[in-house]
Amino acid sequence: MFAHLRASVWLLGLTFLLCCGLYPLVLWLVGQGLFPSHANGSLIEEAGKVRGSRLLAQPFSEPRYFRPRPSAVGYNAAASGGSNLAASNPKLRGRVAQQLGLIARYRDDGPRQGAPVGPDIEKWFARQTKEKKRNLTAEWAASNPTLASEWVNGSDLLKAYVTDWAKGHEDVRAAWKKDNADKSDPSPADLGPYFFASFARVNPGAFPGEVEETKDGKKVKVIRPVREGDEIRQVFFDTWLTENPEKIDPLTDLEQVPADLVTTSGSGLDPHITLRGARYQLGAVAEARAREMKLPVKDVRELIEKLLEKHRFRPLGFLGEPLVNVLELNRSMDAELKPAK
Amino acid sequence: MIWLFPLWVLGLAVGLSVPVGLYLARVMDDRQCVPRWLSKLEKPLDTGPQTWKQYAVSLLLFNTAMFVLSYLVLALQPRLPLDPDKKGMLAPSTIFHTVISFVANNSQQHYSGEVHLSYFSQLTVIVGNMFLGGGVSLCALAAVIRGLRGDEHLGNFYVDLWRAVAYVLVPASFVAGLLFLAAGVPMTFEGSAPVAGGGPIARGPVAALVPVKNLASVGGGFFAANSSHPFENPSPAANLLSCVCILLFPASVIVMFGKMLRQMRHAVVLYCVMVALLAGLTAWAVYFNDQTANPALIHSARPALPVDQGGLGNLEGAEVRFAHGPTATFVAATTAVACGSVNCMHDSLNPLALLSPLAGMWVNCVFGGKGVGLLNLLFVLIVTVFLTGLMVGRTPEYLGKKVEAREMKLAMIGFLVHPLLILGPTALFLGLSWGGASASNPGAHGFTQVLYEFSSASAGNGSGMEGLGDTWGFNDPKLNPTPPAPYSVHWDVAAGLVMLLSRFLPILCALALAGSLATKPAVPPTVGTLRTDTATFGVVLLVMVLLLGGLVFLPAGVLGPCAEHFGPIPFGR
Repeated sequence: MFAHLRASVWLLGLTFLLCCGLYPLVLWLVGQGLFPSHANGSLIEEAGKVRGSRLLAQPFSEPRYFRPRPSAVGYNAAASGGSNLAASNPKLRGRVAQQLGLIARYRDDGPRQGAPVGPDIEKWFARQTKEKKRNLTAEWAASNPTLASEWVNGSDLLKAYVTDWAKGHEDVRAAWKKDNADKSDPSPADLGPYFFASFARVNPGAFPGEVEETKDGKKVKVIRPVREGDEIRQVFFDTWLTENPEKIDPLTDLEQVPADLVTTSGSGLDPHITLRGARYQLGAVAEARAREMKLPVKDVRELIEKLLEKHRFRPLGFLGEPLVNVLELNRSMDAELKPAK
Repeated sequence: MIWLFPLWVLGLAVGLSVPVGLYLARVMDDRQCVPRWLSKLEKPLDTGPQTWKQYAVSLLLFNTAMFVLSYLVLALQPRLPLDPDKKGMLAPSTIFHTVISFVANNSQQHYSGEVHLSYFSQLTVIVGNMFLGGGVSLCALAAVIRGLRGDEHLGNFYVDLWRAVAYVLVPASFVAGLLFLAAGVPMTFEGSAPVAGGGPIARGPVAALVPVKNLASVGGGFFAANSSHPFENPSPAANLLSCVCILLFPASVIVMFGKMLRQMRHAVVLYCVMVALLAGLTAWAVYFNDQTANPALIHSARPALPVDQGGLGNLEGAEVRFAHGPTATFVAATTAVACGSVNCMHDSLNPLALLSPLAGMWVNCVFGGKGVGLLNLLFVLIVTVFLTGLMVGRTPEYLGKKVEAREMKLAMIGFLVHPLLILGPTALFLGLSWGGASASNPGAHGFTQVLYEFSSASAGNGSGMEGLGDTWGFNDPKLNPTPPAPYSVHWDVAAGLVMLLSRFLPILCALALAGSLATKPAVPPTVGTLRTDTATFGVVLLVMVLLLGGLVFLPAGVLGPCAEHFGPIPFGR
């Protein structure tokens, strides 16, 4: 037995030294010596400050930039992960439809010449409220309770608003209690569907949206009943498409959005989009850049096309389809397309 | 085009497996010349030749030592060095689960690497156990082969393990590590990098972990997103390298098996059966995930969404840089050979594509993680020779040894442990509310999440459907970015026990089986002997693998992925 113990300890010590000491140490030396940039995380530095990593996606929300793929973890490079939504989960279709509400447009070569569908959704929403006396917010929350909860979960501002609302409106908590007799202490997301019903009764034809207000000389974001804007486009895209007031065929009358722009990646940090995905965004980016450069959109478009050609690559040279790295593309746009003074 | 990548991977892995397998056989048979100072290190390890019982005791003793040491390191994490980002202590149940997971060469993770572990823990508990766990699998196989070929003793466990680690796994990981470094994987001991106007970037000694996790069929990632994280798998070339690494040793051990047994023809038959199974699983996954659109956006009572999935396949939970084809190839490879690293989120795979990883884990002998998979195949082999022997009315023989009641009992125990440990706990967790309350997806997919967790635990795989609520995180709930999942302790304990039993019971059965066959006199082959090195036998074996796996798990597969595919999409409101 003693011989076994001695051999075990000796083996543990030897392997520990080799596998946890020598092996990583040599790799570290080689890495720092031969590939210092890779070894430190492919960081991009500017004036001594780290701007990000060439390998990791960053959020870009301004219209003058190309946007990366959506991220299930809010592009948090310290806690990676995917959405883990199954195809059968109603949240998946719901999330994609909400993203489409912001970026879907009519066909570029069709009669509407690539006009965004957003304004049509807003017009339809207003008409339904006014002429048909429908309360679309209440209808939506009643038929999509999962999405209503998820929508509340997506914004801290709205969570606080729901908690406040439930304090002032006893009916919210009472309605929840009726459906969940065995539970107590609901979260704002649990109250979501009941909140929307109550909110819609008080504010017919409106949706709780984020708006910027000036308070004590400072700009703050608050929740107010809104009748147009991004929230209406996002939430009611799917209802609009289903009821189809414009009599369109979503597969032929709308520009098809490349799937990478509306699906979240496994890591939440995928730095690439397809070249098709970049081309889909090209019009909007070129317009924004043309405004600030005071140049015709057509010329700016050509300049950006050239950058796209420069940055495109194909995985292993033969796989899949051409891709571009969003961060690198945006940085080279900043370097080469300077705003007019 | 889409089939080019899987063919490359298979071609490279098969091509490399022959020289690597021959080298493995040389090392384990002590025919490899090593410098004198290196062989001197082996002296204090050599406790002399061992019988199967002594070998098993040494193996268990050493694994106990690994468990104790690893538990201590994780429990003392806040007090140990190399912790630039100041991590706290994990919950005790999570430590228990993590330590068993890595000691048992499984690598199921109920924590997030970049959030919960210090660099010291990553390098010792995770990387250290990856080498040792992979080495133990290889030793177990080598010992069993020595028994099968009729050696008097099964070798010496300590010497075997040292050779497997020092002469095989470390050099291979080092070479792969250099390639991963060149591809862009970080290797630093500095803490996370602060970003101007954004959140910090987690990094660390990643390049030390990535090669061994793939080569030793372990699969636990440095980051939560595993090989889908750009730091673990930065480029399409790194992805190709990962795939080849995953398949390399599992394929090589079959060559080693043939060489050590001096029955190359028999090994070739096994090899062909394995390649057929792997090719089938890969083709299934590639077709149903990367060639097929995600049904969420097209299949429903509502109109199709204006999304073009053509030429991209299902991209939810997948990275575009790997392109379509490589994503699903990785899925099939990592689950077939019990590796468990993932380059996309398996929870978001298309419903039917999910059958490929599940079937790979259920069958659990497609090449099989570093040796242990081959032991599982041994059980099926014994059952096959028994059944075919009965069919032709002869006493079943394997490798010239009579297979009798004792061998059949051991083989059946070894074989039945796996389905019992998957289906039993799945039924328990779903019967009580634990499973349903932890599943993040509705309906049949929620069932699949629970089933997958136990399949992965029992198959030594370690991949997971990460939507399942099984993470407690730091012991102090206030330190966690997200609140602990309500049934995380249940999951830690149950999955931990499943991993423990499913790892060591089959190894013990196989060692006992080898010990028992070793003592029997070899019967010279006659015209009536059922030969195990013919194509006919290969086909029978293939059918048996599918039949045994299929019969046991078919109902679960129908209730999970099939029901999701044929059921309403989206499911519920």
